[in-house]
Amino acid sequence: MIKETRITLKNVRKINPEKIEEYIKAGGYLALQKALTQKPETIIDEMLQSSLRGRGGAGFSTGLKEKFTSDACKTCTDRFIVCNADEGEPGTFKDRIIMERDPHLLIEGIIIAGYSIGATRAYIYIRGEYYQSIKRVELAVKQAKKAGYIGQNILGSGYSLDVEIRLGAGSYLCGEELTLLESLEGKQGYPRVKPPFPAEKGLFGLPTLVNNVETLATIPAIVEKGAKWYLTLGSKDSPGTKIFTLSGDVEKPGYYEVEMGASLRALIYDLGGGIKDGGTFKAALLGGAAGTFVDQSVLDTPMSYDLLKEKGAVLGSGAIIVISESRSLPEMTRSILDFFKHESCGKCVPCRIGTAHLVQMFQELTTKTSETKPTLDDMINKAEYMSKTSLCPLGQSPILPLQSLKQYFSNQF
Amino acid sequence: MGTISIQIDGKVVQTQSGKNLLKVARENSIDIPGLCFHPRISPTGACRLCSVKINGQDSLTMACTVSVDEGMTVTAFDDELEQNRRQTLEYLVAEHNIEDDGTYHDELRDLIERYEIDVDQVHQTISLQENIVFKTDNSSPVLSYDASKCINCFRCVKGCCEIQGKEVLAMNERGLKAHIIAGFDQWDESECDGCGECIQICPTGAIVEKPHREDFLIDQVDQTVKTTCPYCGVGCQLELLVKDNTIVRSNGVEHVSPNYGRLCVKGRFGYEFVASPERLTHPLIKKNGVLEKASWDEALDLIALRFRAIRENYGSSALAGYSSAKCTNEDNYLFQKFIRTVFQTNNIDYCTRLCHASTVTAMIRAIGDGAGSNSIEDFETTDVLFIIGNNIIETHPVTATFVKRGKTRGNKIIVCDPKWTPMVKYADIWLQPKLGTDVALLNGMIHIIIQKGLNDETFIKNRVKDGLAAFKVLEEQTSKYTPEMVAEITGVPVDLLEAAATIYASAATAIIATGMGLSQQVTGTHNVFALINMMLITGQVGKERAGINPPRGQNNVQGATDVGASPVFYPGYIPVTDTANRQKVAKVWNIPVEELDDQPGLTTVELMKAAYDGKIKGIYVLGENPMITDPNLNHTEEAFKRMDFVVVQDIFFTETAAMADVVLPATSFAEKDGTFVNSDRRVLRVRKAVDPPGEAWNDWTVLCELANRMGRPFPEYKNSEAVFEEIRKVTPMLAGISYQRIEDQGIQWPCPDETHPGTGTLFTERFNTSDGKAVLHPVDYVPQGEKPSEEFPFILNSGRILYHYHSATMSKRNDSLNAYANRSYLLMHPRDAQKNKLADGDTVKVNSKGGTLVTWLKISDEVLPGELFMPWHYSHSQVNRLTRDELDPFSKIAPFKLTACRVEKTKGIQLDDLK
Repeated sequence: MIKETRITLKNVRKINPEKIEEYIKAGGYLALQKALTQKPETIIDEMLQSSLRGRGGAGFSTGLKEKFTSDACKTCTDRFIVCNADEGEPGTFKDRIIMERDPHLLIEGIIIAGYSIGATRAYIYIRGEYYQSIKRVELAVKQAKKAGYIGQNILGSGYSLDVEIRLGAGSYLCGEELTLLESLEGKQGYPRVKPPFPAEKGLFGLPTLVNNVETLATIPAIVEKGAKWYLTLGSKDSPGTKIFTLSGDVEKPGYYEVEMGASLRALIYDLGGGIKDGGTFKAALLGGAAGTFVDQSVLDTPMSYDLLKEKGAVLGSGAIIVISESRSLPEMTRSILDFFKHESCGKCVPCRIGTAHLVQMFQELTTKTSETKPTLDDMINKAEYMSKTSLCPLGQSPILPLQSLKQYFSNQF
Repeated sequence: MGTISIQIDGKVVQTQSGKNLLKVARENSIDIPGLCFHPRISPTGACRLCSVKINGQDSLTMACTVSVDEGMTVTAFDDELEQNRRQTLEYLVAEHNIEDDGTYHDELRDLIERYEIDVDQVHQTISLQENIVFKTDNSSPVLSYDASKCINCFRCVKGCCEIQGKEVLAMNERGLKAHIIAGFDQWDESECDGCGECIQICPTGAIVEKPHREDFLIDQVDQTVKTTCPYCGVGCQLELLVKDNTIVRSNGVEHVSPNYGRLCVKGRFGYEFVASPERLTHPLIKKNGVLEKASWDEALDLIALRFRAIRENYGSSALAGYSSAKCTNEDNYLFQKFIRTVFQTNNIDYCTRLCHASTVTAMIRAIGDGAGSNSIEDFETTDVLFIIGNNIIETHPVTATFVKRGKTRGNKIIVCDPKWTPMVKYADIWLQPKLGTDVALLNGMIHIIIQKGLNDETFIKNRVKDGLAAFKVLEEQTSKYTPEMVAEITGVPVDLLEAAATIYASAATAIIATGMGLSQQVTGTHNVFALINMMLITGQVGKERAGINPPRGQNNVQGATDVGASPVFYPGYIPVTDTANRQKVAKVWNIPVEELDDQPGLTTVELMKAAYDGKIKGIYVLGENPMITDPNLNHTEEAFKRMDFVVVQDIFFTETAAMADVVLPATSFAEKDGTFVNSDRRVLRVRKAVDPPGEAWNDWTVLCELANRMGRPFPEYKNSEAVFEEIRKVTPMLAGISYQRIEDQGIQWPCPDETHPGTGTLFTERFNTSDGKAVLHPVDYVPQGEKPSEEFPFILNSGRILYHYHSATMSKRNDSLNAYANRSYLLMHPRDAQKNKLADGDTVKVNSKGGTLVTWLKISDEVLPGELFMPWHYSHSQVNRLTRDELDPFSKIAPFKLTACRVEKTKGIQLDDLK
């Protein structure tokens, strides 16, 4: 039986998220005080040593990102930190819990990360539908300002940072970091050409650190207890903890923070209480729509970035959608393909037309009887073309579920 | 940017570091396909056709988004890349209506052919079209949009936003439903002003023009002619498409200064007047009070006879000529030569007297040159733009695009105008002084600058005549203009005055763009003196990207004066009183110097006064329309009636032609060769595109014929180039310019010899005064003589609008332009309208001491209470029936901007009732 190890969720349901005093009483803002006595480089070093990887889904080294942003454009008078709280990946609801239940932890993480890169302004870009998150974070920012954690000369350190909240307007794509920056600038949510990366030319063309909520909420603990402590958690290639969000055909859906390397079986059966209504496990979709299907052969694989990769799967945002034998995989596939078609912004040709074409092909594949009907391989061909030529991760993603379906469930199509 | 070498498909290419890879490849004949890329907009990376492999990079890269680096090794063509391209094209075909009516160039179609895409097969296998409802929008007067042909490449959106700075177009919806919208949806309800940048930049004919669309096939045009726009003084380079001797389309010439492909609505859609059935096609002679068709011989003989008689009976000074800012340099040059050698008088002037005479007078006295000191491109790169009395977006739309682009780079814009102008939307500060209080405002700004110590002492010491001593005089003289006092006079709040003065004075570089608002006043010259004083004490001149620019209203205002269409200057701004120059010119003209009048002639309005008084008996009017453009028109009309003999040479039967004894049909810009000079002193080629209608003649050919018949023949000029060669000989600043040198791009004067590259910025070394120093002219604010009274409680301001031009002889003969604006109006503040119980749309009668007119009321807070505004283009409501001919004593300009008026409601009428 595995147990949860809570770092980012440590205060959840233990303190009143609308009261800064309770957060402080629980040890809040101590990490910030410590950080402000250190040199920014020292904090970045600590992040590098901790091997913390971005928890939004891409898994890029947080320390490296900070270093790149901090080193970029030394002559720029402004640089920004942007918290990506536009949580939109299907099956993912980890950031929401942090924002609703412990918003000050996020804010503390933002200020520390901002300090480490010399940010002059922070933006929190929250998914517009997250009413409660918006309310709680707004209140927390207000309280933190009043308490002197945000604003001019924070805690007498000489460091100043303003925090501003901006809301998303319902586009999945705006959770993609460059599209998010466009949206923050007041423009339509279209992805930018990469490179340049945000670290070099981000918001308004200035160096910008974009981090996910969970990533930022991990930072105070690392600052407080050190990288060494953090490395004792999790597995070798993926240290630390991760929040997994269980949904679908599982007895106890919800959010669970565990050490990296826990198996899918442990998550579903130990924490999730097993398959709903005593059903049988058929598949799990890891990482949301832009994720991968796995079958029971992956149940005992430790959930870590690299080991999952070996199995042709992704960890992604930590979403686990459990699928029992009673479900039709083709139906789920159709819904995923519809989702991509619906969310494609239409800027680049391969994605705009490719996502629609995949829907058409899948319709033919599942309904047509003739020999000319497309096969899963035909679809994978198109998806591969899309992944090579599309402008942003959206068009590059349909290959992930399709490839995994072929690997694990080719008999179902 | 150092020279580097890269490899594309094994070919070694020398290029500059940082250049765009797709551009580099195409320049080296490596034709990587691509539809969303256009060199004038930022890379988009949307069509994904230009994907390449770059050594050392895992994934494919779009060539259009890459800057080249030393040693870069690129694969542009291999099986995989070509397979991807084919797939992308198939997708575009699947999504699109690829039918094409042949009236535009379709870049997608080119690629379909190049890649041999089987269209039918694609449609059989991928069926997307039936799922999409394609939007069409035909609501604009000038263009239509069809989403079924749109590939969502963003070129039009970026053209509208990045190139024109208008931000009207955007993408709406997403995925397959994505399409272009103007404003919030409908084109005709948006702020689209019809510039057509989107049409020119669209690769697939999704956005196409309406006019003449059906008249021709793009691959069957007879010729494409590069020439210069005949409207305002930006000097945009046009590419005219000609079919059956008719202009059927106009595009901006890509990548060539000064417009770099951009146009405004007039440049793109204003060419219809050339083929108007109302063109003059035969000479007309007044017989028994009626103008009747005549032969050229008859007309020319009569003119020679009558002008000769006047010269013999009343002397040379009884003759005069009105030259034209719409004609070429060659026309203007020979016209002034005609007036000086055939009429033997300096009584030659033209409409510049009515627009920038005061500006030019002040500039010549203070800094030695009346022309703009900077290049149009500098409007984008300077740090601060001070735009005063200049509705730049409407009057110089393409220059304004540079200003707007500068804004996106963080430049500051200060607008000073009593009336709201569209540039206010982009401005950091809008100063809205009451009409006629400019000297107080500018003296106030000078006072603030000195108080804050923001004056540039080194510049004053080194570059201003009498240095700090002269500055002291100015300091003392402006000391009484405290911010509070100035706020009281002008109505501009103290904090705005201080902010504007500070921003201007402390900028690294600042450019002034001044206009009619400042110049067309009784105090016009003083206004500009005050402005120049501010510029001189802050050192915002004499360096790159700083100076003063009066953008020219007409296509060739600059050139007409440059080549001597002036009562006081010979070609090259050499005073008529300069004996050495007259001797030099007489030699070139091969006449005895004694025959050249050595006294300044009469100016435009003076000419009309002299005619009224019976002193001028005969006048030759070349392409001007004083019966609309002169102030106090009732007086002008009487002056024309009193003259013995009036000749009007024009392309249309104008209001002035109606006063003529002989009317001669001339050629429009599209029917002649020659040159224009634009606002930034760029000499630009004008080229013949179509044959003139009927028996219309070239202006300068008429002059040669007449000179002959009046016994003072000109040498035989083979063509316009031969005339220009003579211009070079007598105009030192143009001496280095030849037709050959300006074949591709214009050259800015001064250009003293053939090795000289031309001059982008004036005064970097010295001012064009005798000692090379600038001169301060301290001036005092004098309240306007024209004041509101009980009888005339309003002050009327007049000005231009985007869709019309000057007296509208050309612009009103374009359906497209009329569709946007065909009716005069009077702007009145809502408070005044309420007080006078007037409603929007009411027909109103406007009275001044000088006259009366009828127009329609528009209630708008664009004007201050107590002030009114009217566009002056319309012949059905002639603003100049109201204006005065009280002149600025220094420049003789008339106060078009300030007329005391009364407004009363009158019986409602329609436009047709006035025609």
